[in-house]
Order: sequence, then C-alpha cells, then structure tokens
Amino acid sequence: MSKQLLTVSTSPHMLGGMSVRSMHVEYIIALIPALATGVYYFGWPALLTVLLATGSAVVCELALTKLAKQPTKLDDLHAVVMGLLLGLILPPVVAGLEDACPWWIPVVGGALAVGLGKVLFGGIGAYPMNPVLIAWAALALSWPEHTMAFLDPMPWGTEDPEWVVSTAPLVEFKNDIGNMLSYEMANLWSGMYPSAVGAGGSWALLLGGVYLIIRRIVPWQIPLGVLAGLIGMALLATYTDSRIVEMELETFNDHWNVALFHMATGGLMITAFFLAPEPVSSPMTPWGMLLFGVGIGVMTVLVRHWGAPIDGAFYGVLIMNAATPLFDRIRPRVLGKVGSSA
Amino acid sequence: MSVAQWFKGISLRRPPAPAASPSEAPAPERVYLPLRQHRGDVCEPQVQPGDQVALGQIIGSSESIEAALVHATVSGKVEQIIDISDAEGHPTPTVVIQNDGKDAWAAPDADALIIDNADQVLQTKPSHLLKAIRKAGLVRAAAHGLPMQAELSPPMAPRSYLFMTGIPVVRTIDTLIVKAVDADQPIIPNQAGLAGFGAELEIGIAAVARICGAQKVIIAAAKGADLGQLPQIAAAREWSISQVNGCHYPFGLDSMIINALTGREVPTPYGEPRDVGVLIEPLATILDVGRVLRTGRPVIDRLFTVAGDVAKPQTFRARLGTPMAEMIKAAGGASGQPGKVIIGGPMMGMAHFDLNTPVTKESDGLFVISLAKVQTFSGEPCIHCGRCVQVCPVNLIPAELGKMCQYGHYEEAADKDLMHCIECGCCAYVCPAKRPMVHLLRLGKTEVLARRAE
Repeated sequence: MSKQLLTVSTSPHMLGGMSVRSMHVEYIIALIPALATGVYYFGWPALLTVLLATGSAVVCELALTKLAKQPTKLDDLHAVVMGLLLGLILPPVVAGLEDACPWWIPVVGGALAVGLGKVLFGGIGAYPMNPVLIAWAALALSWPEHTMAFLDPMPWGTEDPEWVVSTAPLVEFKNDIGNMLSYEMANLWSGMYPSAVGAGGSWALLLGGVYLIIRRIVPWQIPLGVLAGLIGMALLATYTDSRIVEMELETFNDHWNVALFHMATGGLMITAFFLAPEPVSSPMTPWGMLLFGVGIGVMTVLVRHWGAPIDGAFYGVLIMNAATPLFDRIRPRVLGKVGSSA
Repeated sequence: MSVAQWFKGISLRRPPAPAASPSEAPAPERVYLPLRQHRGDVCEPQVQPGDQVALGQIIGSSESIEAALVHATVSGKVEQIIDISDAEGHPTPTVVIQNDGKDAWAAPDADALIIDNADQVLQTKPSHLLKAIRKAGLVRAAAHGLPMQAELSPPMAPRSYLFMTGIPVVRTIDTLIVKAVDADQPIIPNQAGLAGFGAELEIGIAAVARICGAQKVIIAAAKGADLGQLPQIAAAREWSISQVNGCHYPFGLDSMIINALTGREVPTPYGEPRDVGVLIEPLATILDVGRVLRTGRPVIDRLFTVAGDVAKPQTFRARLGTPMAEMIKAAGGASGQPGKVIIGGPMMGMAHFDLNTPVTKESDGLFVISLAKVQTFSGEPCIHCGRCVQVCPVNLIPAELGKMCQYGHYEEAADKDLMHCIECGCCAYVCPAKRPMVHLLRLGKTEVLARRAE
C-alpha cells in the first residue's frame, strides 16, 4: 500500500537524551565554582595551571589516539574534564618564582593522564583506575617538591600580589598535629589557605557536587560513603591517636572539629564529589559504591595520621579503584528470582 | 509510592497526553483480520473468498483452548485470504473483508448470554460464563495476550519446570487485580476505558472474579485519575481501590503492580502471575468481557490509543482489522514524515515496517515518531557509569550483561541473572553512551534458550 520506508529497531524507541558529552558538560558546569574560588585566591597562576593541564590533555588525546589508531572523540569532552580536574589538584604555576610549581608539571601531567591513564588501556570505558589520579600519583612520586609547592592565598584585587610558596595545613599537621588548632575553620572551608588550585574551596566543591547529585550524574552513595568513612574514622582517630589524646580535647565539639579539619583540607572534597565517583573506575552496585566510598574515607584518615604520604585521599581512590571489580560483586537481590531458578 | 520507586525506574519526558474519553473510529473500507490475534494456535478459516459475511459472524475457529475465535468486524464480502504481518511481526493468514457499510449483525450464538447487572452474574454458572467468553473470541488485551478462556481456566497439569526449581506453586487464584493504569505512557487504553465507566465494567469484574474464583478484587488506578462512580460501586461489592503511580515507568507493568499491591514476586523468567495466586487483567479486557455478557455479541472493536507525532492524539474504539494507516488518518494524520510506527508504547512497543498491519486484539496502541525525531543507538563502549543499575527495576547489572552479550559470553550472562530481565528498556533510556541495551540482552536470551534447547 505504502512505498515509504519506516525505521525498525528494538525497544525502547525513546531515549533519555543523555550523552557522554552532556554528562561531561555537567561536570564542567559543576567545576566552575571550584575554579572560580581557585582563581579568586590564587589569581592568574591558578588559571594558567588549569589551562596548561587542559590544553596538554586535549592535544595529547588528539595525538595519541591518532598514533594508537583509536577513534578520536574530542567532542565527548572527556579530555577537557580530565585536564580540568588535573589542573585543579595541582599547585598554581608561577613563572620565575623559585620553588614554585614549574609550567611543565601540568603539561606532563595532562600527557600522563591521557597517555598512561586512558589511551594505553583503550580509551574511555576501558581504564581500570582514575587517569587523573594516575597522572597525579606519577607527578607526586617523581617531583614531590613541585606538587607540594602551594602558594599563600592572595584574594583577587590585592595590589601587586607577591606570590610566596608556603606549607599546606596537612604538611603542618604531619609535622605536629597541634598545628591544626592554629587554623581558622571558616578560612579552611572557604579555601583561604595554601592549597591546590581547586581543592581548597570546600564550599564551592560541595555546591558543585550537590549539583551533580541532583542532576543524577553522580550517584549519591559514593560521596556519602567518602564523607561517612572520613568522619567515622576521624572521630575514631581523635580518641585513639596518642598525639591527640595527649592534647586532652575536652568536649565532643573539639573532636568534631578534627573531623571538619580533615574534610576541609587536602583533596578530600574534590575526591568525594569528583574524583571518587569518576564513572569508569568506580563501582556500579549501590552497596558496592557505598563501601567503596567508605574505604576511601577511612584510607584518607589512616594515611594522614599514621602513613608516610602527606594526603591519603588520592591514593585511597587509586587503591579502591583496584578493588572495584570486587565491590561490583556486592549485588542486590534480583526481583523475581525465587527458589533456585536460573 | 513505595521506597523502591524513589530510586528505581524513570520518569519519562512525555509527549502531551491524549484526550481521555474514547471516541469511535470510522469503520474502514477493508478490514484485515489475522487468524491469530493472540498467543497460541492459529485458527482455521471458515469462509471462502467471495463469501458474504455478516457482522460478528465466525470466520476463523479452532478446537484448541489456546485459540480465540475470529469474527467478522464489518459486514461485506470476503475478498481474499493472504499472509500479512500481524502485531507481532509474523506473517499470518489473514482474511480481507470488503466493507459494505451496512453493519448487519449475524444471528446471536447459541451460547451467548445476555446479562443486565452484576447480581445476575453471581447466579450464572462459571462454566456458562466461560463458554460465552470463548465464543466471543476474547483475548487479554496486551502484547502476547492469551485467549481469555485459557487465561481464566486453571492449567491442566502442574507446571513441571516450576516444581523442579522448588518454587512453591500456588494454583488457586485468590486475588484479581484490575489494571486501570497503563505502563507504557502515552498509550492509555485502560485509563481511557475508565473514563467511559458503566455497568459493563461492573459486570466484567464480577464475571472474571467469579470464573477465576478470586476472593479479593483490587482495582489498581492511576494516581489522580478521575474514578467517577467507581468508589461507590467498589465499596458496595467490597472491591478495594489502590493507587498506583503508573506514570513512573515501569511501575505500571504487571509484575511491578503485583509486587506493589500484594508483596508477591512473580517468578521470572518462566513464571506467571497465576503462580503466585494472582490474576491481573487490563481494564480494557474486563470492559470487553462486560460488553460481551451484556449484549450477547462478540467483540468487533477495541480501545486503541494513537499517540506521538500525530495531529490529534486520542483513544479510539477501533474496529479490529483496521490498517494502521487508517488509524493514523483517524487521528488527524501524522505531523511530518513518519519515521517509526510502533505498535504499543514508546518503551516496550514493537516498530513496524508495514502500515498495512491491522489493529488486532493484542495491540493496544500506536505510537508514531516523525522522521526528524527518530533516535538511534550507537556502538560506543560502555562507560561503566552505573546509571542502568540505578534504574533497573529488577536489580540487575545491565551494563555488565550488555558487555557479556556483546562479546558472546551468553552462559556467563545467564549465570548473572540475564534471564530475569523484563526488557522494560529503562537501562537503554538512561544510557549516556546510547548503547542498545535491550537489543543486546534479547540477543543473549535468545542465544541462551537456543543453546539450552539443543
């Protein structure tokens, strides 16, 4: 009767309209507050770091996928998000300042993230560990002095900002736990302390993270797990770590402040909301995700109190990434699977 | 809304809802009546090309209990008997009747009953009711619907495959659920049927409950639906009405409604609601039962929603055998060039290549997607984001199953509960990589069954 051709396919015939690209656009939107905080406190150097890392990641993605004869998919924005995240967890780059992070650190980092973390394993969807943290770990192990060269914050508008390399709160904490009392909690949460470009602004990261959870880009279990694990372990540590016991904290509020200190410093917030829930390398099952998060939170405190590295959040993610296949085995019961039918 | 629904399933971006009250679709010039409009056996044609047939005359019959009789839905001349694709896409022998426009009814069948009210149903023997339903050729109005007599009468023998697995099998039905919600919005024949509620529905519910022996009747109505007189009548007959959030897909599916209302789980993959003592019937079917018993005439039309990219989406009373092209015309024509024509809803329906496919007893609606809006799947890799796990209503890990099926590890996928998938399509709907999840899982299921059959 009719000569016109109709499309035939399996159901569903309507899709949610979500794509990998739109997912990464949401990530970028969610990172804007953190980036703005970084630029506010660390000025042009902050922006430069992020641009270098992003540019390097994008260029390397293009070159390496061509070399590896993989399809080049720059338009899914994955390289941009990786570069952005890497820039945010590195110290600001200042040209000409001794001891400061040199310009080639973010460049090498971007190349490592794309090459070692992603393309080597076969591109998006295939890599076992968070490529951004692979790059960060490689940098931190090779040039620890550069990746810890944080600057004193100079809020935007300071006349002739003079950048000074300073020590991060966690380094002070490592040297002497009592130092943590010298920090103002409000400053710590707003990001007004020597930190990586985007890892300091805890409020900004929380804002972006909550946005991602509301948009259902990030499952709520992982951030919740990280924060719960961190708070639980931090409280446990305040009652058991002999150095803190000696400080004779009196009220529960003092113990709680230690937990808040852990939350606000280092890379914890950016880990909880952006790095740990990275889709490819994190688990998928609800309980698996929750336990994955708890593991990261616990690891963070263990390393900070008793470990050799300064911060444990990033290493925690890498170690838990390795265990992701195990977490994925914690499955919910299948509805309708009764008896032993198979 | 149960706790599970906070986390599982999806809220669809929905096209505008069709008008609620069903309207009469014009009878077509020619009807195409497949001799199998249900799950089961094909009927034998009872007419020859050139015969004159009356409205409601039997044109296809079979002795098998798993076959529903086929009646002429227009009066006129039989043109030919050809093979065309039915609602399931299989070529089926089909009687083509040229409409003479007179709508002359055939003489009523000897087994037909004429029942005026629900009290009279309770005084009629179930076997008489069942015989009348069988003679009227009723079919459960859903995809893969069984003929009503097979649906209502208990299975002849215990179901060995369930006994083998140690599942306690309940063989008596204690609960009848009348489904006044539709899973696959915006195809809403059941909700539209509720709008035209009358004595037929009361007779239908009473008759079905009497035949299957259910003690308890639950009417599952959509939240916020206009129930009209239903609450009073239900109260008088001690039927209960439960609100179901049918708009939150896929909680309007049979097994989901049973789970929400009774707490029982229909065993998958081989189980049926009967195995847990529940009979769940779409309201459109119950309405047909009521009409058959009240008028003593067989069904010649059914509630049929036309939605999607058409000028006037609405629910019709459409003659069985009307070609889809006529239904699109009745709804004001497609807006733009149609790219996909789907029998059923956008989430679980079946795309058809032939606009000549007729309305049958098991097709409940037509969803048209214009060429510009056709969405395609891609071959991109899974990015392991876990969104499919978040929405899967039966708690599978679709991403993992999809990968296994893609690379041919079918038995491994079966070990990870592949066979329990209900093919609702939520995973494919949310997938950011636009993977054809349902396609992959169906492929896997087919392969597993084929290997087990060897």
